[in-house]
Amino acid sequence: MTVAADPGAPPPLPAKTGRALLIAQALKAFRANRLSSVGVVIFVIVVVLALLAPVIAPHDPLEQNILSRLDGPSAEFWMGNDSYGRDIFSRLLYGARISLFIGVAAIGSAMIIGSAIGLYAGYRGGRVDAVIMQAMDVLLAFPALILGLVIVAMLGPSIQNLIIAISLTAIPPFARIARAPTIVVKERDFVEACRALGFGDLRIMVLHVLPNILSEILVMGSLWLATAIRVEASLSFIGLGVKPPTPTWGGMIREGFENILDTPWLSVFPGLAILLVVFSLNLIGDGLRDVIDPKTRTD
Amino acid sequence: MLAYVARRLFFALPTLLAVMTLVFVLVRIVPGDPAQTILGDQASQEAIMALRERLGLNRPLWEQYVDFLQSAITGDWGASMVTGQPVLGEIANVLPYTIDLTVASLILGAVVGIPLGVWSALHRNRLIDYVTRIGSLLGLSFPAFVSAILLLLIFSIYLNWFPVISAGDRSDPLERLENLALPAINLGLIMAAYITRVTRSSMLNVLGEDYIRTAQAKGLPHRSIIWIHALRNALIPVVTVVGLYLGILIGNSVLTEIVFNRPGLGKLIVGALGQRDYTMLQGLMVIYTFIIIIVNLLTDLTYGLIDPRVKYS
Amino acid sequence: MAAAPSQSVTQSDVALDVRGLTTSFYVGGHWYPAVRDVSFTLQKHETLALVGESGCGKSMTALSILGLVPPDTGRVEAEAILFEGRDLTRASDREMREVRGDGISMVFQEPMTSLNPVLTIGFQVSEALRHHRGLSRREASARALDILEQVKIPSAASRFNDYPHQFSGGMRQRVMIAMALACQPKILLADEPTTALDVTIQAQILELLRDLRRDTGMAMIFITHNLGVVAELADRVAVMYAGQIVEIAEVEHLFARPSHPYTEALLRSIPRSDRDTAELYTIPGQVPPITRMPSGCRFAERCTYRQDRCAGDQRLTSLRDAPTHAVRCWRRTGGDLPTVGAADD
Repeated sequence: MTVAADPGAPPPLPAKTGRALLIAQALKAFRANRLSSVGVVIFVIVVVLALLAPVIAPHDPLEQNILSRLDGPSAEFWMGNDSYGRDIFSRLLYGARISLFIGVAAIGSAMIIGSAIGLYAGYRGGRVDAVIMQAMDVLLAFPALILGLVIVAMLGPSIQNLIIAISLTAIPPFARIARAPTIVVKERDFVEACRALGFGDLRIMVLHVLPNILSEILVMGSLWLATAIRVEASLSFIGLGVKPPTPTWGGMIREGFENILDTPWLSVFPGLAILLVVFSLNLIGDGLRDVIDPKTRTD
Repeated sequence: MLAYVARRLFFALPTLLAVMTLVFVLVRIVPGDPAQTILGDQASQEAIMALRERLGLNRPLWEQYVDFLQSAITGDWGASMVTGQPVLGEIANVLPYTIDLTVASLILGAVVGIPLGVWSALHRNRLIDYVTRIGSLLGLSFPAFVSAILLLLIFSIYLNWFPVISAGDRSDPLERLENLALPAINLGLIMAAYITRVTRSSMLNVLGEDYIRTAQAKGLPHRSIIWIHALRNALIPVVTVVGLYLGILIGNSVLTEIVFNRPGLGKLIVGALGQRDYTMLQGLMVIYTFIIIIVNLLTDLTYGLIDPRVKYS
Repeated sequence: MAAAPSQSVTQSDVALDVRGLTTSFYVGGHWYPAVRDVSFTLQKHETLALVGESGCGKSMTALSILGLVPPDTGRVEAEAILFEGRDLTRASDREMREVRGDGISMVFQEPMTSLNPVLTIGFQVSEALRHHRGLSRREASARALDILEQVKIPSAASRFNDYPHQFSGGMRQRVMIAMALACQPKILLADEPTTALDVTIQAQILELLRDLRRDTGMAMIFITHNLGVVAELADRVAVMYAGQIVEIAEVEHLFARPSHPYTEALLRSIPRSDRDTAELYTIPGQVPPITRMPSGCRFAERCTYRQDRCAGDQRLTSLRDAPTHAVRCWRRTGGDLPTVGAADD
């Protein structure tokens, strides 16, 4: 089409390089996509509330008030009390800390481990690459929740084991992201030049591949953080989460579910909390992806 | 085509073996004695030893491994360590429930998601599009158990339209449907959210293709351009996403089965995990792996139905 | 108005009359015309070539006639586009759909991407027949098969249910042509139909188009950047530059007396066997961007004869001694200036 040759169109964006452009892109994303800024605002509020839980929480999350067992929302207990008379609002705030910590730790380590695996596989190539990626595909095909269930059940429910289980399920996508550009970079001439200058091969790979995939990894990270928080809550709901009485959102829903007929708010408040956090992360990831991959652009 | 299926299944064997080995190893390296777990803390040492003997837990590991593989291949998956019933039989009992649920959610997801995605794409950047986009993002943000609880609260408890416990007689079609409705709506709507999003973006891509302009230049009516020329091309990525989503669906069905108290593989695996029922767990993991292999195969075969460029050779 | 040459023919001989067509695009908050005040007539049975560099608006002119300019970014305005007594600029969506593929058809540049990959070619060719003619599936298929044979698809019957990816580029373009001809249109718009093809295939497709035109008697607007092709196929030529027609004439006239400096330059840049091709002429400079069109002559910046007067408004005006030959350059039409042919060679 003739319009394609329109010389007045803005020049295509230069290839992404480094952090400065990434930040510029992210800012542009949030300007263009109001929804993703809503996501950022919600998520930041949740993080701040979680960090300040000890200051804000009106009650000790473990303090039992026998007199207010299963009471509905009141002036003193904003979201009511659970079956031990504990303040649901305070437990919700403390639960946010656990959920966010597990999610961030699991996805953070999955990012690092996954990228390292992808870099290594792409760099080595051949059979090593084939075997590693085949293993990643099997891992990816397996339902994350089932895998998480089995691993946590085997290792025993603890914060550390939850992080391991969730992280394991999130490794394959990061490995895939890192592998593709590694293969491309490996073939380029400058790698030879860098080698001649005495740089180690792996160091060359890391330095040249990482800036290329950083933006993509961040998008993937925000979307998988949403998944991680959902999986953590699901495992806690099944009874394979952090042990009670530590407050977790999934655990609170589980406890509330026993009294679902009489006191539904016990489950509904933490349920909405999870929904809100996961939704905000998805909004952020969605907005970021629009900027990085114009093909899927939604606005 | 048949040769392709046979070859695909043959190449899936190493994956199956890998999963089985992994399960075998995982089950045995974990702390805790299954015999102890089964009999409880109060059991005597003699009783535990006797049970270990009976379960074959005292034999060397490699012997257990060979035994495990052998019986798995011959279809003898042993008996549940807890109930004593054959594993295969227990699985066969609940499998139809899970298949009902999965198929119903898949159909619901496609029936709701595809038209919604097309509609949203056609009204790009209009109010309808924004509402659909936010709605679908919200839908896929729902942890399945949270949405299940909300549905249960609204439709079973307040409105009293559906049973609270969805474990009913499957042979009575009306009861079967009644028990299936809420769980299927729960999973189906989450699935619809995924399908809507991918259909929308795929449709937008396709609508920019040259062959759509060709179809317009022929003077075809809008509906045949959308539903014949565009949609068939747009469905190709949808199939990919449905295939990937089935993994999530299987996970979500576990949560759904718990909330609605519906029999199925999910409830079986949660029970087996809680009671360290190793034989049951092994059987379930093999079944899950098998299901995933079949799903991947079906996904690839579906491409062939939609896209004539796909060759099975 | 500018369309002086059209006045000499009677309306009944005219297949298409385009008057004052302007097509604008929305770029960075403003509307910019990619096609500006284009007027021409197409006689029945005639082939008019629209010639120019990519981006000059020639394809957009064709898409505007058919109403296929993307409505979210483009806007078509025209005094009138008359086809069979109907003004297409005032036609409803439904009326436009009735014209497309039936009265006026179009063949696109890219045969690789212009056919739907998931539908059989038989279906794609018979589709327009079923829709416009209301033929049954069987009748339409029989007719479609005839047309596929007419465009010389080898063993068309056995390939009727094949998919586009099973055909070569040249064969796909034949299928595209068959699709366009299915309903025996009065006008065929061919948008660079040979550009994407190998040279030998190009010649075959051109020959096919020439034969079809002779056999069917349809009128054709042939869009190309290749003046060599024009000489073989066209009756008349309109040269476009930066969204405007700068010269329009019978093909022999244009080659004999190129009257716009841009046409001249184009002719000089055709590779020819009787000249040293190593010194192939290229026009210096670039087409001004759509967002920064100069007022006055748009070619002035690159023109070797440029004078102050070029900054003034230029109209497409007939040469005094050749009423069917019009040019948008004051040097040829302004009177007290160097006579035609004195400027070069």
